[in-house]
Amino acid sequence: MQKKRIDYSQFLSLPALILFSVFFVYPLLKGVGMSLTNWDGMGKASFVGFKNFIDFFADERAISDIRTTLIFAVGSAVLLNLVGLGYAVLMNSSFRGKSLARVIIYLPAIISPLIMGYIWYFLLQPGRGFLYHAFQQLGLPDLIGNWMSSYPSALAVLVLVNVWQFAGMTMIIYLAGLQSISGDVLEAALIDGATPWQRFYRVTLPLLMPAIRINVVTNIIGSLSVFDVIMSLTEGGPGYATESLSIYIMRMCYGSRTGYSTAVAMILFLIILVPVLISMRLTKSKA
Amino acid sequence: MLLVAAALCSLFAGCSSPAAETSEAPPAPASSTEPSEQTPELKDVDLAFFTGKVETVDLLDEIIAAYNAQSGGITVEQEYQNDASNIIKIKFASGAAPDVMTTYEQEYVDQGKYLDLSDWNDVWDRLIPSMRENCTDLNTGNQFRVCTNMTMAGFWYNKEIFETLNLEPADTWEGFVANLEAIKTAMPDVDPWFIFGSEAWHLGHLIEFMPHGYIKAKFGATEAKEAMLANDKAVLNFGDPSGAMATFASGLLEVQSKGLINADVLTATNDNCIDAFVTGKAAMFSNGMWCLSSILEKDPSMADKIGFMPYPSMMADGTPMVLVAEDSGYSISADTQYIEEAKSFLEYLFSAENQKKYSESLGSPSAFTDVDADWAPAAVVEGVNIAIDSAANIGYTNEKPAGFSGDDAGRMVQDLLAGRYTAEQFATAYEEAWDAGFAS
Amino acid sequence: MKHASKAVRYTLIIMICLMCLIPFYILLVLALNSPQRIFYEGNIFLPDFDWQNFVLAWNKSKIGTAMLNSALITFGTLALTIVTGGLAGYAIARRNTRYNKFVFGLLLSCMMIPGIINTVPLYTLMQRIHAVNTLWGMILVCSTLALPSAVFIYSTFIRALPKELDEAAALDGCTGFSTFWRIIFPAIKPATASFVILNGFGIWNNYAQAVFFLQSRSKQNIPQALSIFFQQFGGGDWHLMASTAFIAIVPVVVIFLIFQKQFIKGLTDGALKG
Repeated sequence: MQKKRIDYSQFLSLPALILFSVFFVYPLLKGVGMSLTNWDGMGKASFVGFKNFIDFFADERAISDIRTTLIFAVGSAVLLNLVGLGYAVLMNSSFRGKSLARVIIYLPAIISPLIMGYIWYFLLQPGRGFLYHAFQQLGLPDLIGNWMSSYPSALAVLVLVNVWQFAGMTMIIYLAGLQSISGDVLEAALIDGATPWQRFYRVTLPLLMPAIRINVVTNIIGSLSVFDVIMSLTEGGPGYATESLSIYIMRMCYGSRTGYSTAVAMILFLIILVPVLISMRLTKSKA
Repeated sequence: MLLVAAALCSLFAGCSSPAAETSEAPPAPASSTEPSEQTPELKDVDLAFFTGKVETVDLLDEIIAAYNAQSGGITVEQEYQNDASNIIKIKFASGAAPDVMTTYEQEYVDQGKYLDLSDWNDVWDRLIPSMRENCTDLNTGNQFRVCTNMTMAGFWYNKEIFETLNLEPADTWEGFVANLEAIKTAMPDVDPWFIFGSEAWHLGHLIEFMPHGYIKAKFGATEAKEAMLANDKAVLNFGDPSGAMATFASGLLEVQSKGLINADVLTATNDNCIDAFVTGKAAMFSNGMWCLSSILEKDPSMADKIGFMPYPSMMADGTPMVLVAEDSGYSISADTQYIEEAKSFLEYLFSAENQKKYSESLGSPSAFTDVDADWAPAAVVEGVNIAIDSAANIGYTNEKPAGFSGDDAGRMVQDLLAGRYTAEQFATAYEEAWDAGFAS
Repeated sequence: MKHASKAVRYTLIIMICLMCLIPFYILLVLALNSPQRIFYEGNIFLPDFDWQNFVLAWNKSKIGTAMLNSALITFGTLALTIVTGGLAGYAIARRNTRYNKFVFGLLLSCMMIPGIINTVPLYTLMQRIHAVNTLWGMILVCSTLALPSAVFIYSTFIRALPKELDEAAALDGCTGFSTFWRIIFPAIKPATASFVILNGFGIWNNYAQAVFFLQSRSKQNIPQALSIFFQQFGGGDWHLMASTAFIAIVPVVVIFLIFQKQFIKGLTDGALKG
């Protein structure tokens, strides 16, 4: 019998752990304790127990922010995946100019979020923007109407803008997954006499699973912690109608309620954790 | 397994006791007159200068380069950040305050973050006395910043339209609305009053200049500021259904329902406003002196058409008001080791010659008595001066609750204009938000 | 019938592409408008062709330096995260010990925590190790932000690789590290390509961390260079903002066009076959 040696190669993750611990976990632990205090970001903090968490659920604005965040995230995550997959299927076929088309679809994702909002504003602004003028020239009524000045249409615009900008990213990942499904595998299945449904379920889906997993999880996390798109297009307005939890956390943090904002960050963490865990379970690669 | 890790993660969170954290929050005692009194000669030092004023970045680069070339060892470096008012908070909290900065908040004054500049007579002797008063912290009676400029805010109006329709700037709200209606009737394509409500700060300013302005004009600047610091409800009276706040809200709803403001008030931007004003499609709008340069850049010939008038009084016992406030303040960190060096740099920046350039590039009058700058076209300057003389001059209030910013107030006005409040509800909600901002 | 479906597909693709180019068209119109332009007057679709803007924008924004800084930060961050994240992803996928489960759980959990609540302690730490206002400091911060994503992507892709690869390597006498570096890493080019695509431009355009850790103008990155055209109480210098943004986008598009073949190849090259 051989003696069991310690398998050192499991510690190949050590460099990542160290880097991450020093620059993320360590500051985080120092910050997280603040969620149980009334720290204003600068002066003395005193322990207030779970008061911040109780306050959060008593705050109308916070509850409305949860709703906004959830609606945005469901809309965005679902649409990003559907549109991204649709683009990928379309781009997976062979046609002239395929490479160029792929690059073009991805391009909007490279514009800095700092200016993207303004570009969209120039496009969509009710009664003034490019789209309004385009409709006018075509003799159509102002279809955009006052979209951006009323909830929930403002939220719908935000979801669409987000999908418009980032579907190319989702597409690229799906494309990688789709291309791994070679003709051989499908042909082999065809010879086995598999029905189209069986082919999809037994062959395509398992092979696509890594791509689905990455896209679903990334988009859930990204959409639930949305900040840039909303901040640059509506600043959470009108009023607080389109404010997301991330924006709320930022405003509370800088608005002298640092302890409270940390508590809200913990709550947001839990809100993200649940769907991520579920989707991780559902998209586990079968060996 | 993720759950395990997550649980571990939150376990750690639970473990780091808040008591231990508190001891680390730096109390940062500010002893301002500690070093360098005995060592008058300046050392070889790097001075960090932090600013959020984008308008002056280029000019300051120039002035700083000239200063560094002759300072004999002091090197000033400018850091500009667009989001300076938020970033400075992190710098203070981390104990990494810049030596010199333009960001100033009551909160940080109370925390002892700024050096007391009250004894800096070389500078104060040159400043307009009322501007020194504006720079004074009410709690201590000391000055923690030097403001190099003045700024005014009121209604800008198109003189051509007013002359064509034979209108005069109105003193009262009723007269003001009558003017708006006259414009609307005679020129249906013109927005009588343009409000660019997509930008929360603009709506926050309307609150600051009109209902807050009433309180400041009625009780006097100092008493009003003290009431704001102490949240003295007898003076502020924000929630009163017939008070200044409710009257302001019902006034806004009135002009909105009568179509006297632009229909896209919630999505219009500052640029839209300037464009509309320059093309004669907006008859008036509220803003500070800082908008002049954008108007004149779009159309220099506007210089003869720009009129300036006070805010009309909305309350029966009110008066017309113009904001005359300190602008462009410079502070020194209480923690800096280089007080003399910082002062030497600021004295260079404050020289009459540099301030003339500064005032002209900023487009606002200098707060120094010995600076004679052409900060705006003569016609505009004359109009502004007449308005200032004819109305109560209100100052800008920094004395606000830390948890309720001007932008927060502006977002409440957005909600009002979106139809989410009646005037009375708005006043109540405003009072609640104000109180909550104090409690935090 | 077949022709018809082909035509439909082409039309669809062209429409999607046009839609994706709209933001760039708007940016170009803005970039070519004169400062006097009354924006919504006249033919909004046709700019003034004021090429001068590009010269002004280049000088005023110091975008050249900013692009170099952004490039260095992006390259450094990607290199660091690909190496450390790839190794960690490998260990997690292949040595699923309790320790590695913990590492994975920790990294993934932290992906869901808004970084803003770390800001003060992180700033204090960076201050202490003299990393504020340095590119290497910024690289370290950006790396920790991108690391969870790298580990997640690598572990997902490596799990889908057949175990026989490792076993063959082990027979050849490869150690854990050399198995990863010589056998696994080349086999998961799609993971690397995905990671670069998902995170690269986020680092290139980082603003949230840059405002704290890049201070002097000689250290600032692209979004900070752009921010010089926004005023607090007023609009922006749109013509200069847009021309600066356009200048900053050109090299990215060029690099992307040059390397897109490799990118797409990298995406599809691997042994992502069951």
